[in-house]
Amino acid sequence: MNSPLTEAQHQEIQDLLGAYALDAVDKETATMIDAHLEECVKCSIEVAQHHEVAGLLANSGGPSPAGLWEGIAERLDRSTPPSWEQLASRLGPDGTPEDVDGTPAHGPVHTDDVGAAADRERSKVVSIDERRSRSRLLTRAATVVAAAAAVVAVVLGVQVHHLHNQVSALQGQPQLSGVERSALQDPTTKKVELTATTAHPNGSTVTVVLTRSGTGFVEAGGLTSLPGGETYQLWGVIGDKTISLGLLGSAPGVVPFSVAGNADVSAFAITAEQSGGVVHSSHQPVVAGEVTV
Amino acid sequence: MELEQASDASLVVAVGRWHQQALAEVYRRHGGAVHSLARRILRSDPPAEEITQEVFLDLWNHPEKFDAQRGTLRSFLLARTHGKSVDYVRSEMSRRKREERTSRETATAGYDIDREVWDMAVAEQVQEALGALPAELRQPIELAYFGGHTYREVAVMLKEPEGTVKSRIRSGLGRLRINLAERGVEPAGAEQ
Repeated sequence: MNSPLTEAQHQEIQDLLGAYALDAVDKETATMIDAHLEECVKCSIEVAQHHEVAGLLANSGGPSPAGLWEGIAERLDRSTPPSWEQLASRLGPDGTPEDVDGTPAHGPVHTDDVGAAADRERSKVVSIDERRSRSRLLTRAATVVAAAAAVVAVVLGVQVHHLHNQVSALQGQPQLSGVERSALQDPTTKKVELTATTAHPNGSTVTVVLTRSGTGFVEAGGLTSLPGGETYQLWGVIGDKTISLGLLGSAPGVVPFSVAGNADVSAFAITAEQSGGVVHSSHQPVVAGEVTV
Repeated sequence: MELEQASDASLVVAVGRWHQQALAEVYRRHGGAVHSLARRILRSDPPAEEITQEVFLDLWNHPEKFDAQRGTLRSFLLARTHGKSVDYVRSEMSRRKREERTSRETATAGYDIDREVWDMAVAEQVQEALGALPAELRQPIELAYFGGHTYREVAVMLKEPEGTVKSRIRSGLGRLRINLAERGVEPAGAEQ
């Protein structure tokens, strides 16, 4: 915490806010103002307003250069698939997500057939909780994983299986990160095998790995790819509620997830839903399994 | 497609879930403005393209830095574009090249920032609002924002005291905001 500014010092900073918003101050001054904005709501609002005005000046429009997107997409493809640690970093200091605009986590965003391939690699993560975390003023994680507890009527076909073979197979998978492999070897990590339910007898086995910290991943590469406009959705049974743990995409592979608050999950299930997911599922699970103690 | 109907804020939520198509949609909506601003400041395509890519990759890696309650996604992206572009032009190498280029332009055509600004295909109301500003308020904004100059450099260019220039930039932006509002253009952002 910085020492309080005198009125004169505050006035001096205020006089610089316009230049600061236009990046027209030197780096030392910018750093000093950055620190002030962390603590001064009035000044941070003024800077936001200056940015809006400047944005209108800059808005010369025109089509987005198509070739550039190809370059961006290529660089995305070269990046390492996200681990659950990366996910946790998006969830705020206590691992809880924030809602961007009050919409349910699965409400406003829709994937479609165009995104099927991307879903496979990128549509990875959600953690569902209504709690909000307060992070720093200007870097508040308002756009991180949206949150809304979702109670659903999922009927779990609970089946318990030995996992030794499945875990061994998982450890040999090249797409697992070092962290994920370590988690598999941790004796405190829960490994849950989700198997086909009677409603979907041809469903493939899926393994859920959940660490004691509440982060985990799903190895769902065996699931049949869904048609455009649909996505797999992961659910967890916590107490007497069934909570959405995230969208897996239409052709998921290894997908990280996080259980907000490290709640005690007693069972997992995966359903097939419309793109964007649902808050309340009325579908029978494709696969389901109970967490054994 | 439904993705095209999602709000900007919702798209950023999806980007937070590593949804590549959501980022593609953000690019489709704002890539042109981002690239245009970068190109305008840098006056060269290769670095403008690089910065455009960096801006969207940054959003991919750090979507939490966008706060929907503080302004629009476009202004957020443009602010980051501007910052990166200015950093670039202020680097030693680009500064030398820029000075050479500016001196050539000054020698042949003069430093006509007004003409360049008016060449932009901005909305008519924005042009009107900018034009309604007195020159002493408009010029420092243009030189700082589109020229990438610090307010101290602007002071030298305009032969005005530094304190005067920084105050004029601030008050000019405030006046511009009012002018825009009078023309029905309400910049987004938190209200006081």
